[in-house]
Amino acid sequence: MSQTKKWLSAGVAVAAVLSLAACSNSKSSSSSSNSTATKIKMSPAYKNTAKATKAGNNSTLKVAEVNDAPFEGITSPTIATNAEDSDVFAPGGSGSLFNVDNNYKIVDGGLANLKLSRSAKTATITLRKNAKWSNGSKVTAKDVEYPYEIIANKDTVSQQYSSDYENIKGMAAYHAGTAKTISGITFPDGPNGSKVVIHFDHMTPAMQFSGNSFIWTTVEPYEYIKNVPIAKLASAPQVRKNPIFTGPYKLDKVVQGESTSWSPNKYYYGKKPNIKHITIQVVSANNITAALKAKKYDFTVGSAPSSQYPTLKKLKTYSITGLPAMAYGYFGFNLGHYDTKTGKNVMDKNAKMGNKNLRQAMMYALNLDAVYKKLGNGVAWRGNTLIPPIFKEYNDAKAKGFPYNMNKAKKLLDDAGYKKRNGSKWRSDPKGKKLVIYFGAMSSSAATEARYQNDLQQWHKLGLNVKMTSGKPMEMNSFYSTLQAPKQNKMDIFNAAWSTSSEPTPTQIYGETAPYNMGHFVSKRNTQLMNNMNNSKAWNAKYRKNQFYKWQEYMNDQAAYAPDNFYMSYTPVNHRVKGYDTSAKNNNFWGGLSLTSAKQK
Amino acid sequence: MWKTILRRVLIMIPELVVLSVLVFLLAKMMPGDPFTGSINPRLGQEQIHHLMRINGLYDPWYQQYWNWVVHLFHGNLGTSYEYHEPVIDLIKQRGANTLWLAFFTMIMTYAIGLPLGIYAGKHEGKLQDTLVQIYTYVTMAIPYFVVLVVGIWIFGYGLDIFPTTGSVSAQANGFGPTLISRLGHIILPGMLGALFGTVNIVQYLRSEVIDSKHSEYVKTVRSKGVPMGSIYRHHIFRNSLLPIAAFAGYSITGLLGGSIFTEMVFSYPGMGLLFLNAINFRDYTVITALVLLYGFLNLLGTLLSDIVLSIVDPRIRVS
Repeated sequence: MSQTKKWLSAGVAVAAVLSLAACSNSKSSSSSSNSTATKIKMSPAYKNTAKATKAGNNSTLKVAEVNDAPFEGITSPTIATNAEDSDVFAPGGSGSLFNVDNNYKIVDGGLANLKLSRSAKTATITLRKNAKWSNGSKVTAKDVEYPYEIIANKDTVSQQYSSDYENIKGMAAYHAGTAKTISGITFPDGPNGSKVVIHFDHMTPAMQFSGNSFIWTTVEPYEYIKNVPIAKLASAPQVRKNPIFTGPYKLDKVVQGESTSWSPNKYYYGKKPNIKHITIQVVSANNITAALKAKKYDFTVGSAPSSQYPTLKKLKTYSITGLPAMAYGYFGFNLGHYDTKTGKNVMDKNAKMGNKNLRQAMMYALNLDAVYKKLGNGVAWRGNTLIPPIFKEYNDAKAKGFPYNMNKAKKLLDDAGYKKRNGSKWRSDPKGKKLVIYFGAMSSSAATEARYQNDLQQWHKLGLNVKMTSGKPMEMNSFYSTLQAPKQNKMDIFNAAWSTSSEPTPTQIYGETAPYNMGHFVSKRNTQLMNNMNNSKAWNAKYRKNQFYKWQEYMNDQAAYAPDNFYMSYTPVNHRVKGYDTSAKNNNFWGGLSLTSAKQK
Repeated sequence: MWKTILRRVLIMIPELVVLSVLVFLLAKMMPGDPFTGSINPRLGQEQIHHLMRINGLYDPWYQQYWNWVVHLFHGNLGTSYEYHEPVIDLIKQRGANTLWLAFFTMIMTYAIGLPLGIYAGKHEGKLQDTLVQIYTYVTMAIPYFVVLVVGIWIFGYGLDIFPTTGSVSAQANGFGPTLISRLGHIILPGMLGALFGTVNIVQYLRSEVIDSKHSEYVKTVRSKGVPMGSIYRHHIFRNSLLPIAAFAGYSITGLLGGSIFTEMVFSYPGMGLLFLNAINFRDYTVITALVLLYGFLNLLGTLLSDIVLSIVDPRIRVS
């Protein structure tokens, strides 16, 4: 459905994970306790056998965006900073350049085609002949290049730039402000032509996938916005009030923060869409269930709240569709510090959590299967690796992760010398020193906080004296500012979450130089395995998959970061909707929809 | 009179300066910064430093404060870190929504509260009085968010009479339909707010009416043979309005405050939600602008209340 999904803010990801635990006595129909694979069966598509009708297609498709705050209203994918904006402006096509298959690999047939040349170290992007903006003007090569300028401009408000882009020749100079253009991006048939060639220092297999951090995958209407200084772009009417799009629909109206309405874009290159009107409206999480019960909406963009699943799945005229979320919850252990001078993470030899047995034991002591059976509302389950299962190709479904095993946990500690000494209630470290472990977690719903208490209890059963950092769950800002300090000793183990992009290479989170490697885990093997995912051999899909598998196995063995949960991103779909399919390879999600009746069923 | 007002206005200036320094300092002391919430592996750490630098967030606080004051006098409240929009525009958008709703709620509150208060006072101790009392106590006792949720459930989803989210329909185009749609969207939250927000007005008014009813001057007028209806209109009502008038200033300036509960439940983009989100996301520019605005409005509200009081009751005027 959306190929350009970017990394969401940590805050968003966290909220999504934590919301799964609002109602603790719901009957869970999922996740059997000894299996690690996805037991929750949801289809990304709703198969409607009824025929679409004229009256239906002439009516308005009503879509809800579940969010407690008004959306920000930035249509440009290069400067938008959150998922809500990309959701409410999705019918416009989000400026997507490429079509993808189910593994998010870029394929031909979209607004443009991509050709990578390993020998010439170039990526050639060729726009289709009939590529047009919704105001009728042609999509040009300059439109493909302009996003790079916006992202790397020194006055930009875009939150997308990383050093990966410096792999493009001339990018560093442009970013520093010493060059006026990016010399490594050229237009063989002129800026108004349809071809763009990007010259790289080195090629990497990740470039084949949408969401990679080297090739930006959306366009910006250069002619339309060129007079707005890049620093002011985010508040310009061309971006907020009267934006133009390349997708199947054009924007008729936006009510700031509340709703967007759409009608077919007659300049769209693909098949004419069926439905005449679409509105997308923000609905608060408290209200969505009542709204769907009252048949006010056809489906939601973005996931419906996990906590509402037990109620929503009972709706008679809606069917549940869903895919595993591009996100996961995890536990991290503090093993060192970030050296700001060298820009590298360093493991401390004497780190409190430095012992692998201790880390593994803490993970085995957690009864995560039971926790998610009880609190997961049937949409969350214990994660088995650090690659979410939406990446079927890369998630090792057979990996065990850390199923509950208290005896094994105790043995691991005994073996490593973490013993109870002098009649103490708690285990001390192998040297006999007192051991107090601090657990950092973010404040959330009552059920999630009860779950933290459960975690503490499990560790206490194991004989470890674990306490909450600052005595209670922390507010999100405090949590991250504590954790992101180059060196901290307030959290020994922490619980957080990540959203991933559609290209799952984890280097930017777990790499040696990654500032987001907040537990500061570094090892030669880790660096090597992650490099292997994108070395020259990794152009072979099987080899690449193998390296992902090996990395997951290695990370589970080291337990420096350990998986907590995976969950489904789901929505109920009303039975009047036909052609609903959010699988990645359906590149024309909005254009493919039709309606079988004028009113919601 | 004018002297008083002038003096009060002059005192407001140092008050606002102190308030702004305090707010500025407190906002900076909160853990985190505008970019903590958006940690994102695709955004390099250097880029975050860069964004912090171009926004002047690494400068010492007094320098940041000074820049802010200078901008303020140029009519520039800065740009929201979260919305990437000038704070002024943001406040204009949300403020307009909030004003619509709050103004309607206030009018309805007085429209319900004033007659009820007088009615109850007039019929002191009788069944009518008891019924009004029960009504006010019940409405006071029920938590407001429960009222909203039950209200939206019955009238929005169950009976489907009123719209349930937002401030205007996505499909309303043109001036007329937009206006009607806007009104339609504020009726339910406005009426709920009014029906469940009258307790102060009713109770104050009721007790004042009862007090006045037993006062000497009423007895005198009555003994002169003036009919009761006229006494209520010309004497009791006017005197009983004093405490209500004392609130009036606050009520007017409080219009811009917004209600977080209402805005949450109805997904109504107003000032309350704006303020709440600004705090959560460390949107400094919005926080300081809003606190200063609220501070100013509060001071202005006090002043207005005093002026209204002095009009209603000349004895209060300070020389």
